[in-house]
Amino acid sequence: MLQRIWKLLCSLKLTIILASAATALTIVGSVVMIRYPKTFGMLDEMTLGAWFSRFGHSNYALTGWFWVVCLLFILLGINTLCCFLDWLPKVRYRWRKSGEYLIHLSFILLLIAFIWGSASGDRSEGHRLPVGATLDLAEIAPGYQLKLVSFDPTFSAEGRPNDLPSTLVLFKNGNRVKEGTIRLNHPLTYADLVILPGSLAQQVDGFRFSGAVELRPGSIVRQADGSALRVISFLPDVMLRNGRVFPGATELNNPAFELELIAPGQEPWRGWYLLRQPLPAPLAAAGFALQPIEPLVTWVSILTINRDPGADLALLAAWCMAIGVLFALISFYDKRQRGDAPDII
Amino acid sequence: MDLTRILLPLAFGLYLIAFVLYLLHFKGRQASVAKGAFGSIVAAFALQSFVLGQRWLSAGYLPVTNLFSTLFFFSWALAAVYLYFELRYRIRAIGLFVIFLNLLLLGAALPRDPVLKPLIASLDTPLFTLHIAFSFFGYAFFAMAFSLGVLYLLQRIIATPALPDLHTLRRLNEEAIFLGFILFTLCMIFGSIWAYVAWGYYISWNIKSVWSLVVWLFYGGMCHAKFIRRWQGGGYAALSIAGFAIVLFTYLGIGLLLASNHPLD
Ligand code: HEM
Repeated sequence: MLQRIWKLLCSLKLTIILASAATALTIVGSVVMIRYPKTFGMLDEMTLGAWFSRFGHSNYALTGWFWVVCLLFILLGINTLCCFLDWLPKVRYRWRKSGEYLIHLSFILLLIAFIWGSASGDRSEGHRLPVGATLDLAEIAPGYQLKLVSFDPTFSAEGRPNDLPSTLVLFKNGNRVKEGTIRLNHPLTYADLVILPGSLAQQVDGFRFSGAVELRPGSIVRQADGSALRVISFLPDVMLRNGRVFPGATELNNPAFELELIAPGQEPWRGWYLLRQPLPAPLAAAGFALQPIEPLVTWVSILTINRDPGADLALLAAWCMAIGVLFALISFYDKRQRGDAPDII
Repeated sequence: MDLTRILLPLAFGLYLIAFVLYLLHFKGRQASVAKGAFGSIVAAFALQSFVLGQRWLSAGYLPVTNLFSTLFFFSWALAAVYLYFELRYRIRAIGLFVIFLNLLLLGAALPRDPVLKPLIASLDTPLFTLHIAFSFFGYAFFAMAFSLGVLYLLQRIIATPALPDLHTLRRLNEEAIFLGFILFTLCMIFGSIWAYVAWGYYISWNIKSVWSLVVWLFYGGMCHAKFIRRWQGGGYAALSIAGFAIVLFTYLGIGLLLASNHPLD
């Protein structure tokens, strides 16, 4: 009985039946995919595991075929594995067929890598990172932080972005582990992380004032009498409630600086300067004349950050497959020349 | 002077001459006629290779970024595949179907705009070039297998000495499928690596990628079907024809009928 099951699992007919069934079902399923983009359009935005848990159970009439295709692939993988194991003892006198062995092995590895990545990987996009800022990746990869050192987008004549080069430093538990510049087709990879350019945005992060004074968080303006004005923070939009300042929208509307004034022999003053209102009295008294001229705009790099623990194994499988097909090419002609045909069933 | 606009119609004319000569050869089987046909194909292929080389040099990248250039590249790859089989096995009139397909491809390319645009940044990687080049060579072998499949079925019905015997046709077909599968596998490998560095995942579920997976799986299955006696011969030939329908839909049908986010649509 066990032997019959093993024979079935090693059978070449089963391979063809599984491959044909998966092909036919995917052809039909692709029509469903096109017709129901709300469900299937999300497939690339999350891992397959996440997709199955979010959409896979909602409507079996729509998604049932996809479950079956995945099952067929797993069966095909088991079929290939059994077939491979069945061959393995004969490898010594079948060394000429190393190519075929490699192809079969790499298909199994690829399937394992994909299932691994689908089950425990993650995908996320839209991480906004202004130049100089550090992003804590706690949600996608706990322990990691990412700093954007510089971002220099280039544009075509029509104004469309050509490339989005971001220089990044990746930290793990505070230690710098990798750095590099990512561009289109050049991600930053580390362990199971892959960080890619997504898009770009602009952000107002300060203001230019009369007298060519530029204020951003951290800027300091000193006067001849020794007094100094330091920018604590900047908000592009604030709301006033009971005389207190609250952050508003992310777009420029009612901008405000939180400032600290330190003058010799005086108590430090700390407060908000709402640019639509007159300069706070202590600043005017200290001789500052800050007349706002225009906002200071910086680029924000919007990044895609994915995690795929199976990616390295998949790459190994790809190499095995590439070498395997080249060897199989040689052995194909070798077999023909020697009139060596596999057992025909 | 735009060489493409002059040399490509010339190549088309030469393929047309080859097609007519092969038709005559099919009837009369004169060696000199077959030689003439072969000569025309070599000349047309040389012209196409020259145009491809010149376009590659002037663009700075392998021009396979729009329908004109992929039709042109497909037709060039198909001619190369034909020449491989012809030089190796002297297949002669078997070329009829392939040359006919070539005429269709080139004929569809001719009225289109051959202008070379600057390469968009996302395609500026050798992975793209390898992905596309291997895919069209794979397609070209599948097209060859399609022709051989049709001729196999034809030979079974009319049993003509103008075509090779069934055994030879079957073996040539198996070779075309195998080589196509090898090249298409390489296409899928480079495509997946490219997807990973461009999007951060190596298997995409956009419709074109799904159909490419279908093509790969189908021909992977066919690489084994020849080991099963009952599926050798007629069944295999019919599958070669069905497989090419899948290839054509993947290449042209999706772009024409459905919307996809594949970079080339
Ligand atoms: C999707 C998975 C698979 C792929 C991509 C694949 C690919 C290939 C390729 C390219 C060949 C070479 C064909 C030739 O020489 O013309 C081959 C041969 C073969 N495969 Fe597979 N295969 C797969 C799964 C399987 C499975 C599941 C089995 C076992 C039932 C199997 C059994 C064989 C056998 C017996 C040969 C012939 C080797 C020989 O010449 O002795 N394959 N396979």
